Amino acid sequence: MSVEDLKEIMEGLPPAILPAIAHWEADAEQLTIQVEKGALPMLAGHLHRKHHARLISEHVADERREEGCFILYLVLILPRDKGVVTCLAEIEPLYGSFPSITSEIFAANWFEREVQDLFGLTAEGHPDPRPLMLYDDWPADRYPLRKDFDATVPIPRVPSHYAFKRVEGEGIFEIPVGPVHAGVIEPGHFRFSVAGEPIINLEIRLGYVHRGVEKLSEALPYAQGTFLAERISGDNGYSHSLAYCQAVEAAAALQVPERALFLRTVYSEMERLYNHMGDVAGIVLDTAFTPGAQMAYLLRERLMGLNESVSGSRFLRSLNCLGGVRRDIDHVASLRINAFLVKAKLDFNDFKMKVLGMPSFLDRTETTGVLSLEAARQLMVVGPVARASGIDIDVRRDRPYAAYKDVSFNVPLHREGDVQARFLVKCEEVYESISIIEQALDQIPAGPISVHMSAVPEMLARFSLVESHRGELMHWILTGAGCPHRHKVRDASFMNWPALEVAVPGNIVPDFPLVNKSFNLSYAGNDL
Amino acid sequence: MSDLFLDLTFSLLQTLFMLALAPLIIGIIRKVKAKFQRRRGPSIIQPYYDLAKLFHKGSSQSSTVSWVFHIAPYVCLGAVLVASLMVPFFITNTLGVIGDLIVVVYLLAMVRFFMTLAALDTGSAFGGMGSSREMMISAIVEPTMLLAIFTMALITGTTILSDISFNLASTGLDLVHPSLFLAAAAFFVCLMAENARVPFDNPATHLELTMVHEAMVLEYSGKSLAIMELASWTKLVLFAALMANVFFPWGIATEVTAQAIIMGIVAILGKVVLIALVIAVIESSMAKMRLFRLPNLLTVAFTLALLGVLSYYIL
Repeated sequence: MSVEDLKEIMEGLPPAILPAIAHWEADAEQLTIQVEKGALPMLAGHLHRKHHARLISEHVADERREEGCFILYLVLILPRDKGVVTCLAEIEPLYGSFPSITSEIFAANWFEREVQDLFGLTAEGHPDPRPLMLYDDWPADRYPLRKDFDATVPIPRVPSHYAFKRVEGEGIFEIPVGPVHAGVIEPGHFRFSVAGEPIINLEIRLGYVHRGVEKLSEALPYAQGTFLAERISGDNGYSHSLAYCQAVEAAAALQVPERALFLRTVYSEMERLYNHMGDVAGIVLDTAFTPGAQMAYLLRERLMGLNESVSGSRFLRSLNCLGGVRRDIDHVASLRINAFLVKAKLDFNDFKMKVLGMPSFLDRTETTGVLSLEAARQLMVVGPVARASGIDIDVRRDRPYAAYKDVSFNVPLHREGDVQARFLVKCEEVYESISIIEQALDQIPAGPISVHMSAVPEMLARFSLVESHRGELMHWILTGAGCPHRHKVRDASFMNWPALEVAVPGNIVPDFPLVNKSFNLSYAGNDL
Repeated sequence: MSDLFLDLTFSLLQTLFMLALAPLIIGIIRKVKAKFQRRRGPSIIQPYYDLAKLFHKGSSQSSTVSWVFHIAPYVCLGAVLVASLMVPFFITNTLGVIGDLIVVVYLLAMVRFFMTLAALDTGSAFGGMGSSREMMISAIVEPTMLLAIFTMALITGTTILSDISFNLASTGLDLVHPSLFLAAAAFFVCLMAENARVPFDNPATHLELTMVHEAMVLEYSGKSLAIMELASWTKLVLFAALMANVFFPWGIATEVTAQAIIMGIVAILGKVVLIALVIAVIESSMAKMRLFRLPNLLTVAFTLALLGVLSYYIL
């Protein structure tokens, strides 16, 4: 979008905000507004209501050494890629507080609680200021993302109590589930308040796999950061490392060779394919129709075998590097992929026909776990969850990266917002992914697959969005000397977890696993 | 006197036979399901190994449990075995004198009663959920089961299970009545519901929140889990025996001769394995139903059983 449009946004600001704006600048794709922190809620509310801006991230960087204060970054994106608006506000270390924007943009809820935990800054006026990321027995005065936090010192454990929301009334009781589950699942605690079988309220408590990824990244040279990014969330490791590479490459103003861009597109879609296959199989499995689920699990296994034969890794590990990719797909491998996909498409057709032709499956999934369009908009969910509730967003189309602008594809959209809609969106995306891989392999240009990485200038803020199989994920990097000064990661799961709390009430307890599976969120990606 | 002795010997033999056969039947169901899922699946004698393993393992339990939790496995297995004494398996000589079909049905209700009590006793949320679901299902299953077997009692003129089998098997096709099939269909639905099979429950799931039967035995471990499992597996064979011998007893031994007994053993094995196969096929061809839809299916079964009784008088 053009600079003029972004300038127009500035001109349209309500007069009350204008005195609070210290500085602003607009370039081809980004509008940066530096504002006094007190005006932040008003500015955010205006951008959200008037321009339908969607919150991508709200985070803080500790710049006390450089600027003498913390800086709050609010990253908003305008719909259909009309540009990005970043609002900055200084937070004086002395007062250590900032006004909460949660009442203006509800999706900021978890972001602000995270900032409170990790930086020790208070979000004033936040409706629910309980801890989010750090676990209950973390001492109150240690803030891990502050620069003066020493990660090598052992942390004492302080007993404390987390107050769950209480639902009271006759016949209401609580079911605590997890964090240790019966299957091989990541840890998370679910607190149900139920009246018999119907669920009145669900509260999700995460953070059990908080590993301090963002802190670790601040000590890792850029070249090694790709491997750290890969390990943020196991099954979308490729997307994470791609987003990290793109953010660093943007900071270094590096031009990645064309062939590498196409290869990145192919690898991204291969990742989406095997994951979607696992997702749809999981949904079918949770309705106890195992033979159907097994058809898709078999395909997933074969796809991972294909990953290994093409890239040397079943999970597509270590493929990205700054400036390109490490591994080429030669002509023989490309033929093999094409031949495989033709067969996979037929097998997937069989699976879809079998499952969707079964009334007992349809009966379980229809109207189960409905996420309304209204709630989805408020919570600013992303990915297949958003597309199943009628929100038409897809980073690959709206803000093309890699070679997505050179291939054509549809963005499947459903409006029902139930388990079935999410199932169908994922099924339809499988076909689109197959088509994208085929197109990319057809058009792939010859040439080098990577270029040498140039030096990364210091104190530059760049970010990158990637559509993983769970939806839009973001890596935001403020560059430092040889490694990131601040590295903010936001997985798609972080936006979608709160939506699960909304979709579940009203359903009955035995349907919860099915709803949960249809969201298929990452715990590790959320906890970081 | 010798009649009673014969009855006692045979009912003990048959009970032991059912107990020994139960893990094999479970193994067969699992094997067939694995084939449908394109898996090789464990050997059909794997459940025996599982039991042996569990019997050698230590056991731990919640600190809140009372004596109910400790005796429940023995009560459950005991009740199932006593019920087996009155159910004909390969021969119609059983201890019918000590109890008829009503006693059998309520011995099975006792199993359920103690299982739900034990689940509540653990104080775990899953136990409570499993118990309430089990009770919801059994509230309709129990009358259906009674009605279905009553239909057979009407046809044969006796409420003693072995006499029902004897009368049907020795009379031939004269006693076959349309209500037999209605009652058999109703009873089969009860069989699936009582034994926690798909579409009522999923015996293979790891999702605690969806469980019915599994949620109730979740807190058991080691030896007591082995006994609980054995009790519910034997219950499945008992139901299969009821299905086979009360509704379609042809082939069962009605006299004490070697030939008849061998014939009876072959017939009942064939019938039980056939029922196991049908269970496996049903479990492989549909998804589990929503919990609140279960009463619909169970009410259909109840209506079938009721029609069975009515049609006996009308037709």
